[in-house]
Amino acid sequence: MPGNNSFFVIPGALDEVKFSKSFKGLTPKMNDAKPVQRFELLDCHDQSLRASGRVLIEAGGSLHLLKDGETISQRCKGKGKFAQNLPAGPVRDALADFPELRALMSVGAGQIENRAFAVLDDLQKTQVRGTVMTLYSDRGQVSLVAAQPLRGYDRAFQTVCEYLETTASGVTGVEPLFNAVFPDLTVYKAKPEIRIGTQEPSIEVATDIIRTYISVARQNEAGVIADIDTEFLHDYRVSLRRVRSVISLFKGVFSPEQTAELKRAFSDLMAPTGRVRDLDVYLLEKEDYFRLIPPQLHDGARAMFKQFEKERTQALVRLSRRFRSQAYDQQMTTLAKLFADPGNLQPGPNADRAAYEYACALIWKRYRKTCKLARSITPDTPDEDVHELRIDCKKLRYLMEFFAPLFDARAFKRIIKPLKKLQDNLGLFNDFSVQQEALHSFVQQHSNTQGRADAQLALSIGGLIAVLDQRQKAERDRVIANFQRFDSPDIRHLFRSLFHHKGD
Amino acid sequence: MKIIACYSNKGGVGKTATSVNLAYSYAKAGYTVLLCDLDPQGASGFYLRVKPSKKLTDARFFEDVARFTKSIRASDFEGLDVLPANMTFRDFDVFLSRMRNKRSRLKKALVAAGSDYDVIILDCPPNFSTLSENIFKAADQIVVPVIPTTLSERTFDQLVSFFDAKKLPKNKLKAFFSMVQRRKTLHQDTMDVMKKLYRKRFLNSAIPFAADIERMGQNRAPVSVYAPRSAASAAYQSLYDEIENGVVSNT
Repeated sequence: MPGNNSFFVIPGALDEVKFSKSFKGLTPKMNDAKPVQRFELLDCHDQSLRASGRVLIEAGGSLHLLKDGETISQRCKGKGKFAQNLPAGPVRDALADFPELRALMSVGAGQIENRAFAVLDDLQKTQVRGTVMTLYSDRGQVSLVAAQPLRGYDRAFQTVCEYLETTASGVTGVEPLFNAVFPDLTVYKAKPEIRIGTQEPSIEVATDIIRTYISVARQNEAGVIADIDTEFLHDYRVSLRRVRSVISLFKGVFSPEQTAELKRAFSDLMAPTGRVRDLDVYLLEKEDYFRLIPPQLHDGARAMFKQFEKERTQALVRLSRRFRSQAYDQQMTTLAKLFADPGNLQPGPNADRAAYEYACALIWKRYRKTCKLARSITPDTPDEDVHELRIDCKKLRYLMEFFAPLFDARAFKRIIKPLKKLQDNLGLFNDFSVQQEALHSFVQQHSNTQGRADAQLALSIGGLIAVLDQRQKAERDRVIANFQRFDSPDIRHLFRSLFHHKGD
Repeated sequence: MKIIACYSNKGGVGKTATSVNLAYSYAKAGYTVLLCDLDPQGASGFYLRVKPSKKLTDARFFEDVARFTKSIRASDFEGLDVLPANMTFRDFDVFLSRMRNKRSRLKKALVAAGSDYDVIILDCPPNFSTLSENIFKAADQIVVPVIPTTLSERTFDQLVSFFDAKKLPKNKLKAFFSMVQRRKTLHQDTMDVMKKLYRKRFLNSAIPFAADIERMGQNRAPVSVYAPRSAASAAYQSLYDEIENGVVSNT
């Protein structure tokens, strides 16, 4: 009967001679090794599996997931696939929490050798079975030794496990595997921690943040080119957006000319990525769109999504070509160099203000502005003002995130929670409005000179616009209530105590 | 859970060899199998390299479910576990005679400890006793090896008479010819006579007398593990097919 396997991570190779002589009355016998296979280590770009203490290996057409001393295997390939799209099986079940938008990609490769062993007693009866999986790369090797208990032979199993535990010398988790086989593998972080000192000149804070996010953006280029998943481009854009908001929100930190120049440079970098991202979003929401309209209207929607797919392929080819070009690389390298040292930049009047005091002033001002606008919103306010509020909230959120290290984390969490809810609400309001416009212009593009469009297409899109419009209105109706939740006396008090110091 | 007893009131007819090879066939077919050695000589355990149980002594077999369960050992073959015997099993009758419901204690013990197995195969000691009555009661099928000789014929007659006398269901009895030597006229004649006499009791499959089976003691493994292409291995396979699936192969 299958029992619970236990496995041990042993850096380097298992000393087989020592292993075979370590037990009284029991003799481990190693079987011949199976042919060496190539393996690939799968994870997503930000190494979620590794962060959760798991290792996913693809070798010989099977996936092996290692966690907590257990191995789960499933016969299928995983590279390039999304976890939820794997064929049904134990590995897919165990990956249920894997990010839905992230594809499994190869983050490392090497050779794998599997050997089975049996621990025999004096009658040559097997009392413990096991396997040794050795992973090699050109940087090192690690052995994963699994022992399987056999019914009625618990003592032998314990003895073997104790030996292996001692050999593993207290090494637990999967990090030793990474350290031994892939020591150079760095962990990608979409939001790296950036240290800020309270008295640090603001120009230094700004350059630190910008330099960090230029680097984050660059770490996503290869994934966009390889078209692994849509999160690469998303992260790329979010990073550049952070850079742009530092430039526009940290007023007076750079000289006006420098600020204008940087704004233009980063806006030019973002622009070519917009269309691919828009199309990504449509395609990701494809199923939702189909659910919005009755099946009779699906034909037109299908035609539209086919068109989107085609257009995305073309847009991505253009974007990849751009990312691979020398001009682009040079531009990014120059920008990275520029922000390597605050001395390279022209300072503005606020350049030397101490970070903490400057942060308080910026956040407090932005908070007051946001509240003023929000409080003026009634059911009759034009949509433009609601859009304006969305942008203000976003700026407030960015400012708070940039300076978060200077403030009490718990207080921030309490503020961010209702703010995020309001932002999600405003975000949906905006998305529904943008989508309507996009659908509208899509029909216009696919109309002839007399403004006549294909009936199927127009029917579907008309249906979609009608539903989206209703959703947008529903979101709008929620804005006032969500703002009131954010505008509670408690949160007001927090803002005041955190950012507004009398006598400043 | 299905219980198959391998029983004969005569010794040396190939019960243990049948138990081990049949159990192995079931396990190979994907069933989870417990081979339960009821014979104090412990030959089944010996064939599978499992040492006698030290702690499942005296009446504990019938009274201590935890001890029974703990004494089960995995064999070297996937899906096949063994409950090894020990010398105290020879006193089963003494313990049983002291117990209430003394004819259903075995079934009770097997259900309590072995319910997670698909098949339990009992390797039985050769006698008529309270334990035998327990076996007849517990088993869904009773596989009886019969050597086609005069003495074996006589013991089989005794077994059938016992079933008649005790009003036990005779359709549980599945006899087959064991250690058959086809070039012996006596064997051929006895088989012809018995097949006619007990038309419904005999399976078609027969196990030949073979050196490969005798070598089980040296190899300490089922025949088809070390002699997979032998006639003996094929014979045990067809015995399994006939018992489990009713498939009759022409031998």
